[in-house]
Amino acid sequence: MKQHLQRQSGVANVDVSLIDGKVEVTPREDGPIEPAQLLKATYDSGVSVAELDMTVTGKIVKDTSGNLSLQVRPNQSFVIAPNELSKSLEPLADSATVVTVRGQLYKKPVGKQKKADASTPLKLLILEVKKE
Amino acid sequence: MKRKHLVLLLLVGCAFVPQLEAQIRHVEMRVEGMT
Repeated sequence: MKQHLQRQSGVANVDVSLIDGKVEVTPREDGPIEPAQLLKATYDSGVSVAELDMTVTGKIVKDTSGNLSLQVRPNQSFVIAPNELSKSLEPLADSATVVTVRGQLYKKPVGKQKKADASTPLKLLILEVKKE
Repeated sequence: MKRKHLVLLLLVGCAFVPQLEAQIRHVEMRVEGMT
């Protein structure tokens, strides 16, 4: 799995902890990393992902339907799942302010819930707004 | 002339201020079925 992930674009380093079942991916500073591709590459290597968390720096943007997104690059943004922390980011929408947040992009459905479809857009659930 | 120097100094100084660049800084996955 480590080799599988290291081949993905934008990946600088992969640390795997067999004891904790944790995989830490360090992105390259110069290249974009695509979390959805990391999820796919992990599944392709025969391992099931229970959770994907990430720390991202970007700008808060609001689309025409009023949904907040965290824009990392002109062609890369993550729709923010509404919660208490996302409300605190609302005043920053469409401003030049850059924020760093820690969020959960994927969590394996529990119980008998339908398996998450690969085509389902991933939403970023904000867990922490980091002070810079 | 003094103002020109001041502007130049500000421009050069800006280049050394660390920029908070938008990017994914860290990704962590919890996986199951890893051997």
